[in-house]
Amino acid sequence: MNPTKGLFKHKNPYDVEGTQELFIEAMRENAVFQYHNCVDYRRILDSTGFVPENITCFADLVRLPFLPTLYLKHHKLESVSSRKQLIKATSSGTSGSMSNIGLDFVSLRRGLDMVIRVGKYHKLWSPMPVNYIIFGYRPSRDNQTAVSKTAFGFTCFAPAASRTYALEKSNEGYRLCLDKIKNALKKCASSKIPMRTIGFPAYTYFLLKELKSEGVYLKMPEGSMVTLGGGWKQFYTQKVEKEDFYRLVYEVLGIKEDKIIEFFGAVEHPILYTHCKHHHFHIPVYSRVIIRDPNTFEPVPNGYAGLINLLTPMIHSMPLLSVMTDDIGILHDAPCPCGEKSPYLEIIGRVGIKDIITCAAGAEDYLKEKTK
Amino acid sequence: MILYRGKIYDDTEQSRIISQLRTDLYKTFSDGKVLSVQTVINACDTLAKRVINGDFDEIVNPYLEMFDINAEAFKAMVQLFSKESLEYKCAIELSDDEKIIAGKFVRKRYPLGILLHIAAGNVDALPAYSVIEGLLAGNVNILKLPAGDSGLSVKLLSELIKTEPELSDYISVFDVPSTETETLKTLADYSDGVVVWGGDEAVSAARKLADVTTKIISWGHKLSFAYADLNATDEQLRETAYNICSTNQILCSSCQGIFVDTDSKEDQLKFAERFFNILKEVNKKIGYADFGMRAKNAINIYNEKLEQHLTHNVIMTADGVSVICTDDSKLSLSYLYRNVWIKRLPSTKIIENLRPYKGHLQTVGVLCPNNEKRGILCNIFAQAGLVRITSGKNMSRTVAGEAHDGDYALRQYSRIFETELF
Repeated sequence: MNPTKGLFKHKNPYDVEGTQELFIEAMRENAVFQYHNCVDYRRILDSTGFVPENITCFADLVRLPFLPTLYLKHHKLESVSSRKQLIKATSSGTSGSMSNIGLDFVSLRRGLDMVIRVGKYHKLWSPMPVNYIIFGYRPSRDNQTAVSKTAFGFTCFAPAASRTYALEKSNEGYRLCLDKIKNALKKCASSKIPMRTIGFPAYTYFLLKELKSEGVYLKMPEGSMVTLGGGWKQFYTQKVEKEDFYRLVYEVLGIKEDKIIEFFGAVEHPILYTHCKHHHFHIPVYSRVIIRDPNTFEPVPNGYAGLINLLTPMIHSMPLLSVMTDDIGILHDAPCPCGEKSPYLEIIGRVGIKDIITCAAGAEDYLKEKTK
Repeated sequence: MILYRGKIYDDTEQSRIISQLRTDLYKTFSDGKVLSVQTVINACDTLAKRVINGDFDEIVNPYLEMFDINAEAFKAMVQLFSKESLEYKCAIELSDDEKIIAGKFVRKRYPLGILLHIAAGNVDALPAYSVIEGLLAGNVNILKLPAGDSGLSVKLLSELIKTEPELSDYISVFDVPSTETETLKTLADYSDGVVVWGGDEAVSAARKLADVTTKIISWGHKLSFAYADLNATDEQLRETAYNICSTNQILCSSCQGIFVDTDSKEDQLKFAERFFNILKEVNKKIGYADFGMRAKNAINIYNEKLEQHLTHNVIMTADGVSVICTDDSKLSLSYLYRNVWIKRLPSTKIIENLRPYKGHLQTVGVLCPNNEKRGILCNIFAQAGLVRITSGKNMSRTVAGEAHDGDYALRQYSRIFETELF
């Protein structure tokens, strides 16, 4: 079996230590492929004198040039023809521009292997149908964001008895249908089958707060779940204490903390990170994380904050082996009560969060228009 | 939160209050009330003293921390509201308050009447400041709070009214979202002038809102930069680096980059290297910028390097600061937080290069040891449309009585009327 296949079919999705060698081999295999099939990637590697064939240890992966998501937003790097990219997704474009990512059959098959194993580990798969409440929008031709696609994808973990979307498209853009959601939730509470919600943490939080202020207090059937994905995005500054959030979920939906599951992933690094029971994002075998010092880009010891650099050999269609996110985080290797030994990632926030709207920055918008 | 006639109301009362607003506003005029400048100055002075004495520390301190403002700079800001400063400001801006013309009529400055202030959210105390300027010119003021307002403005203004209850008829604050255009139109309809702070978008929205006869006074976004002669001294460069590091380039007056008087790339690079070393040194002395901003710029600069084969920019970077040399002469925003561009701009091309940015030019720090040449450069920049010409050190100075973006605010908030002598 080739190393990448071996990695994605590895039985325990959190056996990071036991798959280290496999991971490095898979990265080498993919780096060599990308180097020979993507001109831009080859130029970047050549400019630093990096030879992908020479990857033999983790230190080599630290040296492998990373690509910032910022770069991917302005340059589309491909290593297979566009025709072979079966699924195209764009990032949600929190800061205006978006990355365009295309996944081919090979990448998708690896992704499927991953989802099967991670879903099984976290007991997300269920043969019993569930009612889905999606705090987001229905994917459509004009809406290619990965978030809406992933939300739809999550509804495949258990057969859907129904899908209700909180945001509906209208002539003026997306409209929040609070009454519709309220009615759907009430119906779910009186139903015998479980309910699952899917959505951005911030949207879920605001919606639940809204429902609470309207006096909605429900008890969802046994087996119901609240799933959260996509991070807090532009709501970092309003990020709520987790305990408050869990309490709110319990008050409004009657769902306990251990049934609240948060996911994390990026379009440019579509690895499924899932909270354990103790709300930690353990690193799955498909991925490695390097936390880098912003001044030197050197890795910092675990427990220290820095830029989050994500590595995976999953993507075949594009050179997304090592991606630098816009997020600041800490890698913890303290033992987790859940029993997993894999280190876990804490995301602290987005870079430049102190980024206030300045008068100088405002003038720039005008200048850009002027010099076009 | 609503502040009306000196009292704080909940937002739910908004439509009720706005429905009686016109009658109340007009009553202030029909009662024949005139707001004296001295009343406003005294109230501000008392409040400023209380701020300095620490009466409001629990509100002020988190705000200072958020914007990285040190105690000394804050004290200087508060000092602008002292009696001496405000009297000086009024003396300059309202100096020709009353004149007899040709022995036949009296020409007098009069308040514009009612001002609607649409404030921007980038500086917390700015909405309150705008209202105070309106008051100094004697106007009745309606303030529309910016989205996400922290409540500081309402707090400051209600304290001001407590100090001087007469002001209560002259200050109303509403929390109308910008999307509620009908309400904003109503407020604009009652007003003689709309004061708008913010970018071009905010200004054009205000223009759409107001009747064609309503005066629009806009305080828009501006950019500033330094202009260096190749012989600029190390001290001049150090002062400029100090402006860059201490303001983190976020103010309208902060130096975004340096145009160098040369058309030689070699000279440009040599100058850039000299400045880069000084910038590193000043950065170290002041202490590094905020971690999150450094992280953001680390990615920006890395990205610049990846694109270097397309841009041909020369990049110098260390310790979270950077200098980027480009081949164009465009005025642009830097990456902020101690990241500077250096471009070539021979003095003969200043006007042609900068005139297209008219209306968005603010301060130029001229770094030139030769007095004669500096004089010539100052004239060129004045012609190009800059409104403040300073040394690198003083680019972001705040002085009582100085003009705002090339204008006197109090005059903008006034009108001139003439009465014949009978």
